[in-house]
Amino acid sequence: MVYFRDAATAFKSLNGLLCVYKPACVSIKQVQKTIKTNLCRDLNALPDRPLEQRVEIVGPTNEPMEVKLVPNYADHPLACGPRYINEDFRCSWGIHLGLFTSGVLLLGINDGTRLTYQLNTARITRAYKIHGQLGKATDTYFWNGRTMERTTFGHVTREKIDSVVAHMQAAHQKTMFELSGLHMESETMYELATQGPIRPANNKLPVIYGIKCVYFDPPNFTLEIQSVNEYEKYLWTLVHDLGVQLKTSAHCTGVQCIRQGKFNVDLALLRKHWQLEHIAVNMDRCREILEENEGLVRPKSAKLNL
Amino acid sequence: MNSIKVIFKKQRSTIFINRAYATTKKKIHDRNEENQLPIFQYPVSKSSDRRVYAWGMAETGALGVHLPRGKRGRKSYINDFKYFWHPMRSSFAERFDVTNIACGYGFTLASIKTNEQHKIFGTGINTDSQIGYHAPRMGHPLELLLSPAPIYVPYKSLETKIKAIAAGRAHTLILTDNEGVYTLGNNAYGQCGRKINENEEYKGSMVTHNIKRLGKENIVDVCCGQDHSLFITESGRVYSCGWGADGQTGLGTFLNQAAPAAVRGDIANEKIVKVAGVGDCVLALNDKGELFGWGNSEYGQVPVASDQQQVNTSYALVNFTKGIGKIVDVAAGGSFCLIVNDQGDVFVWGFGLLGLGPSVQHSATPKQIPPTLFGRNEFNPESVVAKVACGIAHLAAITNTGDLYMWGRNRQGCLGLGHLRDQHFPLKVAIGAQVIKVECSVDHSVAICKPFV
Repeated sequence: MVYFRDAATAFKSLNGLLCVYKPACVSIKQVQKTIKTNLCRDLNALPDRPLEQRVEIVGPTNEPMEVKLVPNYADHPLACGPRYINEDFRCSWGIHLGLFTSGVLLLGINDGTRLTYQLNTARITRAYKIHGQLGKATDTYFWNGRTMERTTFGHVTREKIDSVVAHMQAAHQKTMFELSGLHMESETMYELATQGPIRPANNKLPVIYGIKCVYFDPPNFTLEIQSVNEYEKYLWTLVHDLGVQLKTSAHCTGVQCIRQGKFNVDLALLRKHWQLEHIAVNMDRCREILEENEGLVRPKSAKLNL
Repeated sequence: MNSIKVIFKKQRSTIFINRAYATTKKKIHDRNEENQLPIFQYPVSKSSDRRVYAWGMAETGALGVHLPRGKRGRKSYINDFKYFWHPMRSSFAERFDVTNIACGYGFTLASIKTNEQHKIFGTGINTDSQIGYHAPRMGHPLELLLSPAPIYVPYKSLETKIKAIAAGRAHTLILTDNEGVYTLGNNAYGQCGRKINENEEYKGSMVTHNIKRLGKENIVDVCCGQDHSLFITESGRVYSCGWGADGQTGLGTFLNQAAPAAVRGDIANEKIVKVAGVGDCVLALNDKGELFGWGNSEYGQVPVASDQQQVNTSYALVNFTKGIGKIVDVAAGGSFCLIVNDQGDVFVWGFGLLGLGPSVQHSATPKQIPPTLFGRNEFNPESVVAKVACGIAHLAAITNTGDLYMWGRNRQGCLGLGHLRDQHFPLKVAIGAQVIKVECSVDHSVAICKPFV
């Protein structure tokens, strides 16, 4: 546990990346606000700096006057408000998670906002666990939508899911090459292709590098997906498409992000730990991870970062 | 002026506020209304169901897709119906249970599961009657078939089943379970296994030849090169007939062979399980996973000590393929060879677009194509290649998950990648089913697939 002597040094150390666990049905904006508020609360509770002094020159002007220092009450928290307020913090997210997605979320605090931008442009891979249910299709592809269709799903087996899912994954190989921004007939392209998965040059189209079914107990199933450029709704449609390919229908019941780059779910701070001490420890850990993996923020090649 | 500005500001801000707080009441639906919905049951395929996808040159009719002409004056064909850019599902295979396919030079054969007379269908170029005699008018046989038509073969019993089919440049081999091999088409070099007649007219010919047994043994597999034929018997002997100018018959001569004879050389005492070759080079695989080769070796496909360019007896390539391990599948194209070992690693040698990048045109020794190109990476470590196939200038590989990868010269769109540009490394072909077998020829490819569900 980190011990802070006073609020000013604590505030100065709050620059960097933070890895939190975003609950479902809480927007990123809300998470950012909660973290800022909690930081302010904890900083304001720390020993404050001494009150500013005011120079007071008193006495009759025709005699030597008395100069004395008195406390400046204009600087008192009761007069000017708390020392740290939400507006003192800059906070940005690295990779966006939708409202209904839970899981690992990278936030940049103050100077760390630059890091989140770099992580975003480095297109780090994300791993998701997607929970789905067979036999029902909804208009939003998610559990909260209106039911559009009900179907039988007795014929679906683990093997069938596995084969469809492997096919969906392989179908993204061509997209991966096309999004690399290189000419298909160049030697550079070939050399890049032999190294393994390629990072997309822009953030326009989702690319999936791996899908597998990790749990199957009809009607419920769970997919594990490694991807770049995806978004919440795309992951929902993926479950819907899987349902169509399996000659039944399916909707998504939950999305959980379990990894972003090298930041996995063990590192993520739970909501009850969104406090100054835990955040400071977490920031140190994130800094270490960034130092260990130099290619994560400023990649040298178009090869995919895990 | 200032006051006007203020008014504007105010109005704008009020509009903004209105928007920000304007909410529509979301229509909240009743959770119980889904209970009134019917429960659909979608049709599910049987495990024996097969789909056939075809792509490449469509003008020859080899893809078996004939779009009927509209009324006169209208455009008779849809735009750009020259090529099939992507694999297209063949409707023929939906009507019949297709068991086998074979691609010749501009024509395609399919065998179906039936107890009736018509067990084989053919489509495409028919200049040498390689897909039978079809004459809507007496005395005017068709030289081009645009949609699949049944081939008449004089089976002795209707119970006969087709075990394998093979197609060369202009001849066809049909292997049955207990009536031997039937051959059709061009016999100018003896590739049909019967006596060569210099003056024979092949157009509109109705001749079928039956090869019952070879060396008193039943035939278990057949293979067609360009103008030669190869037969494997029960004990693993290989017989050949046809054009021998490059030594592709492996009989120790460069002469044409009319009657099938046993291939000489190193394979004479081996049990051969597979022979492959679409051009003039032949590769053979024995039951121990060892490789043999003969035929054209202009690009070092069959490297022999004497540096011959035409190898007319079979040679063991065991030393050549040392370190590769047990070979499970082989394929030979026009100027290159492709093999895969039991680890799922693919090796290629010869000349052409080998899949080793644009800078590698020639390889004298087997070179491995990086497995990452076949989808093996950190996320899918189990993806390995199981089968390979070759056309004249294009190559294909099927992984254990049933994904098809193709590369090479993209003649008439035969790679199915949606364009006519050559592909220098393996790329996944978009087929919405598990590929079981792929057949390639000069300018078209056909795949038999199994539906996922």
